[in-house]
Amino acid sequence: MLPESAELVLFAAFVLAFAFVFAPAAAPRRSLLLRGGAGLAGTITIVAVPTFELVLLTLLTLGVLNAAADGKQPFALRLRAPVLAVAVFALGLVLARAAGPEVLDRFAAVGLVAGLAAGIGLLPYLHPFDPDDAVTGSPIAWMAFIGPALAVVVAGTRGLVPAEAGGVLGAMLIGVGLLNVAWGGVAAWLTESTVAAWRYSFMADWGLALCGFGLMVVDGRRAALLVLFSIVLCRLPLYLASPQSLRARTVTERPVNLVVAAALAGSAPFAGFAARVLLLRGATQLFWPLGLVLALGMLLWLPGSLRLGRSLGVPRGRQALGVALVLALNVAVGLYPLPLLEAARL
Amino acid sequence: MFEAGAAFVAWLGMSLIVLADGRRSLALGAALATAGVALVVFQGAGLIDAGALALGGAVMVVRRITDGPGGWQLMPPGSTPRLVLCIAAGLLALWIAFSVTTGAGAALRFAVMTVVGLGGARVLSSDERSVLLTSVGLLALAIAAIAGMGDAWQGPWPYVAAALVAAGAGWLPVRAPNAA
Repeated sequence: MLPESAELVLFAAFVLAFAFVFAPAAAPRRSLLLRGGAGLAGTITIVAVPTFELVLLTLLTLGVLNAAADGKQPFALRLRAPVLAVAVFALGLVLARAAGPEVLDRFAAVGLVAGLAAGIGLLPYLHPFDPDDAVTGSPIAWMAFIGPALAVVVAGTRGLVPAEAGGVLGAMLIGVGLLNVAWGGVAAWLTESTVAAWRYSFMADWGLALCGFGLMVVDGRRAALLVLFSIVLCRLPLYLASPQSLRARTVTERPVNLVVAAALAGSAPFAGFAARVLLLRGATQLFWPLGLVLALGMLLWLPGSLRLGRSLGVPRGRQALGVALVLALNVAVGLYPLPLLEAARL
Repeated sequence: MFEAGAAFVAWLGMSLIVLADGRRSLALGAALATAGVALVVFQGAGLIDAGALALGGAVMVVRRITDGPGGWQLMPPGSTPRLVLCIAAGLLALWIAFSVTTGAGAALRFAVMTVVGLGGARVLSSDERSVLLTSVGLLALAIAAIAGMGDAWQGPWPYVAAALVAAGAGWLPVRAPNAA
């Protein structure tokens, strides 16, 4: 098991406990525990199994179970994205293992990147989404819970393709990442539904993580890990702490909303800021215009984050405690990320 | 030659699943595809690995015979695109497995690519639960078969896990969408 993967499992366990304790009173705790526990077990299996074939079988099983559980979308529709991901991964794996011309390795790299995008639910393979879906069955939970473990495992299988095709893999990850940064950032700002805006904001964060994985320098891997930390332990708990019922949504502009918006936007001193600095440093090491494009893309977080921060309302009682805990944790990691990175041997 | 024949049987079974909607056709297709994949794996990996796949597939076939839309429903009206898909996917996989790629295991590559490709396409184009779960089960068997392409032996675990997925998928209760 990669050290990064072990950290992600801990993050997932922490966020599940957080959801159980601090989620709004109306949230169904039993479903949260059952489905969250199944998701956590799946995450552990994905990072613990020794071969990529077993990872694919685990992903397939999780996808089928998730599609079969109750939701507002039909089973067939919910099954398509995970099956597509597994099929594309499998074809990529066949090409990676086969001997033949160099172009096969490039197609294998395409399979890995396309499978990753479909497996997480990023552009160009967005999972079907209904804003009224329960949190546990929504693609947002999948994206933030199963996605990080899958991404780290796929990034760890880079050795499947030779070094020349590894460059192609990195370039495609950066390309898909930038696409998600741009689309997610703009859509989180302009879309009508607040729940959809949360979903697009996750997508934009994932774009940064993919760029980090694609950079192939150590700062990129560090940035990717910190982005994943901020997805799992900043954006997801804040989303869970926000009022889930559309009718209950209120728009407020208190100081707490601005602080939450700052955390979501990745401004200093939160963990997202450290991730962005590392990402820009890695990008400038590799190809400085990429750093410029990323810096411009990062500006897109501002309007969307202000909107999402306002949608949180005024947290009270245990929700307020939960929000304070998340913000404190993110400040701590933002100011001193070294222990987290050293534990991941980065 | 034996391997090539087994791979052809796998393609035939998957084509049957793509071309049919009734449970008898699906069960026959699943049986053929399972037999094809298991025989190809048997040549490379061994009896236990192939046996695990065959057992998982057999449970899936038994479930399929007893569950799903009745009859054969082979090539219902409007099946021409499905037929074209089966032939085109088979030719493409044949070209890649036997001509583009080199080395031993061409039949295994062909079998895996056809099962994964046609199974994935069937899931994307169908709404029927029995069709979807049959395709998922076969997809699992094909993924396990990829283990035979690696340099290092991975043990029986991928095959056992795939057999469990294939056997269990058919029994999965699927809830109707909650539109309220």
